[in-house]
Amino acid sequence: MKKGFDVKDLINVGVFTALYFIITFAVGCIGFVPVLMVFVPFLVPIVGGIPLMLYFSKIKHFGMITITSVILAILFFVTGHPYPIFIFCIAAGLITEFVLKAGNYESIKCCVIGSSTFSLWLLGMVIAFFFSFRENYFNSLISGYGEAYAETLMAWTPTWVFFAMIAMCLVGGLIGGLLGVKVLKKHFRKAGMA
Amino acid sequence: MGPSFEGVVEKKGLKLDPRTKFALLIVVSIVMMSGSMEGVAYIMRVVCALASFLLLLSVGRVKAAIIYALLLGSAVYCEGFVLPRLDGVTSLTLMIISGVISRFSPCYMMGYYTVSTTSVSEFVTAMERMHIPYLITIPLSVMFRFFPTLSEEYSNIHDAMKMREITIGRVGLFSYIEYILVPVMMSTVRISDELSAASLSKGLSVKGGRSHVCEIHMRFPDYFLIVLSFACLVTFFVA
Repeated sequence: MKKGFDVKDLINVGVFTALYFIITFAVGCIGFVPVLMVFVPFLVPIVGGIPLMLYFSKIKHFGMITITSVILAILFFVTGHPYPIFIFCIAAGLITEFVLKAGNYESIKCCVIGSSTFSLWLLGMVIAFFFSFRENYFNSLISGYGEAYAETLMAWTPTWVFFAMIAMCLVGGLIGGLLGVKVLKKHFRKAGMA
Repeated sequence: MGPSFEGVVEKKGLKLDPRTKFALLIVVSIVMMSGSMEGVAYIMRVVCALASFLLLLSVGRVKAAIIYALLLGSAVYCEGFVLPRLDGVTSLTLMIISGVISRFSPCYMMGYYTVSTTSVSEFVTAMERMHIPYLITIPLSVMFRFFPTLSEEYSNIHDAMKMREITIGRVGLFSYIEYILVPVMMSTVRISDELSAASLSKGLSVKGGRSHVCEIHMRFPDYFLIVLSFACLVTFFVA
């Protein structure tokens, strides 16, 4: 294993982060329907896990996932999510980093677990609904989208849902990772791309 | 101005420093996405929406500016006048659509303005001046270049699928996602290889300094706009 980054690694970080961001954003858009919002932390990792596994198969160094998580945090902060997104993203990135390292960046099992832990960053996206952010966020929702929307969303997100969402992220990430392995086997392995 | 070697750089119109564009982009996004609809925050929203419009005009993207104005105008009109008179599912759907348009379109247009008027070289140079490490700069610049490619790839795949009459209804959601995702991932891998080769021949490397021919300067409009956007942000958080 070579130490340190070369440009190819950084370019891989760039393209795969872009792909992951777009997919997350596209799937996350269904969250505008209040009922489905609750399931976004479940659905995003399932779809996002597929390109993530391809990305993991390209990773050979310590640090690439962390860079991805920092960039994701910046992008999501710019698109209007509150600051805790930085904490969650970077924490999830670091955890995943160590999971992948434990498998020496080769073990498929560790990649699947990594896809599951990496999905935890989504908690940073939904934390606006919970704890001390709740009141502020719903006030801005009421003035922006109207009472009915805010109330439906509020009814769907009592505090315990946050803990359910942690489970959703992990399970969703696991499913996404397994799907990813399947897709890689089906399409990429024989083309020599993974 | 020196000759530009990569990408097409917009020569006409007001030329802003990339740093100014980032400041504006961040302020517009924060105000539009998280702002409420009352009082000072509302005025901020109007200012930001107008800023995107004017900047598009300033580089001669008249068509984009007009489409944007019409879209935003109709969304705001829907929110203000049509919605209070409707109820039920139609109202909710319409509200979500117009809500998305009125929130996202100014940010999207600002992003479009930033990306379409900044060459990669200018971008990297500006990041260098802000002392942001290469480990962040290179992936970010790759991403900026990659987003348009990605949407192009997607629309090609979409066309190909349409030609063979592959729709969600016929093949089911999971296969549909697979049919889109796999070609996109394939081309992602290919593009990443091509970009690495290209960057090798351009002499981009993690270690060692980088020289550049493009000039970026802060001029009067830059200082003016940066001060303005900071003022915007401060009033936004205080009010």
